[in-house]
Amino acid sequence: MKRRQIASKVLGGLSALIVVFLWAPVVLIIVFSFSSNKYGVAWEGFTLSWYAKLLQNTDVKDALFRSLVVAGVTVVVSTLVGTMTAYGLYKLSFRGKQFLRTSILLPLVFPSVVTGSALLVFFTRLIHIPLGFPSIIIAHIVFCSPLAVFIILGRMQRFDWSWEEAAMDLGATPVRTFMRVTAPQLLPAIAASAMLIFPWSFDDFVITYFVAGVGSTTLPIYVFSQLRFGSTPVLNTIGTLFVTVTMLGLILLGLLQKREKR
Amino acid sequence: MMQTIDTEVSSQASIRREKRRLLLAMSAYLSPIIVIVFVFVFAPLGIILFFSFLKTGPYGQIVYEFTVENIKAVLVGAYGKIFLQSIYLALQTNILCILIGYPISYFIARYGGRFKALWVFLIIVPSWSSYLIRLYALKTIVGTSGVINDTLINLGFIAEPLQILYTPFAVMMGLVYAWLPFMILPIYASLEGLDPAVLEAATDLGAPPVRRFFRVTLPLTRGGLLAGSILVFIPTVGEWLVPHIFGGSKVIMAGTLVAQKFTVAGNIPQGSSLAFMLAATLILILYLTIKFGGREALERAL
Repeated sequence: MKRRQIASKVLGGLSALIVVFLWAPVVLIIVFSFSSNKYGVAWEGFTLSWYAKLLQNTDVKDALFRSLVVAGVTVVVSTLVGTMTAYGLYKLSFRGKQFLRTSILLPLVFPSVVTGSALLVFFTRLIHIPLGFPSIIIAHIVFCSPLAVFIILGRMQRFDWSWEEAAMDLGATPVRTFMRVTAPQLLPAIAASAMLIFPWSFDDFVITYFVAGVGSTTLPIYVFSQLRFGSTPVLNTIGTLFVTVTMLGLILLGLLQKREKR
Repeated sequence: MMQTIDTEVSSQASIRREKRRLLLAMSAYLSPIIVIVFVFVFAPLGIILFFSFLKTGPYGQIVYEFTVENIKAVLVGAYGKIFLQSIYLALQTNILCILIGYPISYFIARYGGRFKALWVFLIIVPSWSSYLIRLYALKTIVGTSGVINDTLINLGFIAEPLQILYTPFAVMMGLVYAWLPFMILPIYASLEGLDPAVLEAATDLGAPPVRRFFRVTLPLTRGGLLAGSILVFIPTVGEWLVPHIFGGSKVIMAGTLVAQKFTVAGNIPQGSSLAFMLAATLILILYLTIKFGGREALERAL
């Protein structure tokens, strides 16, 4: 028993250290976003002026708007595609299914520079899609849909399919069965994938940077262009808002899952 | 006789009907992802393979003449060395992530109790909030006038600030920082999926804890380790931002080369060949991992 306690203490201490390592930069960003130091790198007293500056910054507002549109469209399309794909992969068996599954994995694990550069060359040299909203949104759907597929597929594997059979046996049409029985059961997984895809799309820098072209500055691209001149307090406020929104999203997701369990 | 032929014909017709139904269902559910995979993943890869064999003109324009120079530069030239270095660095990062990530996952799964969700939350939140800003903040912390150097100097341990940035060590630290959560979560998931009865059985049969860990727990969580390694190792080889921020011009990785050719030099043939060779290398590694690591274990963890 004693040994077990020691093990738990040592491992707990190690885990705490790692959490500190992961959080240190985040805490620094939050603290300095309220500091009056104008380089955003030291504590000089409390101020909210950087947040006021952020609200007046039209570049940030434009970039934020673009990022929200891109992430919004990406979430809707990717979860839709993900749901259909997962359903098809689960229900049907056909030749080449393993190959398709592995291929879907590719955009998920490929380095962003590969996806970004290949799509850039494809868009500009082969199909001539204008760089900007169309190219950015397509690229985001390409790397976000696989995430939805695997989250929803994972859920389907733990799914009680007898409900669906029961509905069919009782005379419900396939469409009605899907809408009234299958979809409601899948809803938590669909919500989870939407809530994971949103920050993924919203925060993507590398792929977007490749395919954005000139003038389509999303928020991460704006941040990158500012960071060339070093960190600034306004960037700290953006970082703080990011963390806040992520935390709220995850708490919401947790509550959803809790409700599902009940 | 007549009858058997009849049933054969009708069964063939029903097989055909069944096939048609399957095809219809497939096209209904799977056509969007098939378009994504074939048009927006494979076709772009094909295009960059094609451009890899073209020459570059004096102003960076594409000259439609065949050459193998670009590919040769990656296979045997200076770029090849950078590729090997990237793989080596990614391997080190991956091993470090396992050495750090496994104990944490184990702790949360076994001793987390009612704080499990909180621990997972604490690990996920930083990794889902502005990658760029966080990396720069980390850079500020380890910089020559950052928190770490300031503290060490004030405590009198060192006289001059340590040069941490722009070294392979700094790049590795940045990589571990960025990718560690992607190792922890799959391992944690596979540990949570362990059947407690199996562990009890090992103890009842007299296995001491250490032996039980290495003979039972570790082999059963291989899928999580494998999934985590794929999620960490493969993107890490092609990482651009981390070496860009922490390595500057001193530590260059394969991803840096690709980004530099496309965004700075505007050299599409060379950039394409680098990107394609990177993709090919990683597909090979993915294939070998799945082949020797076992697909089943991997998919259970994903």
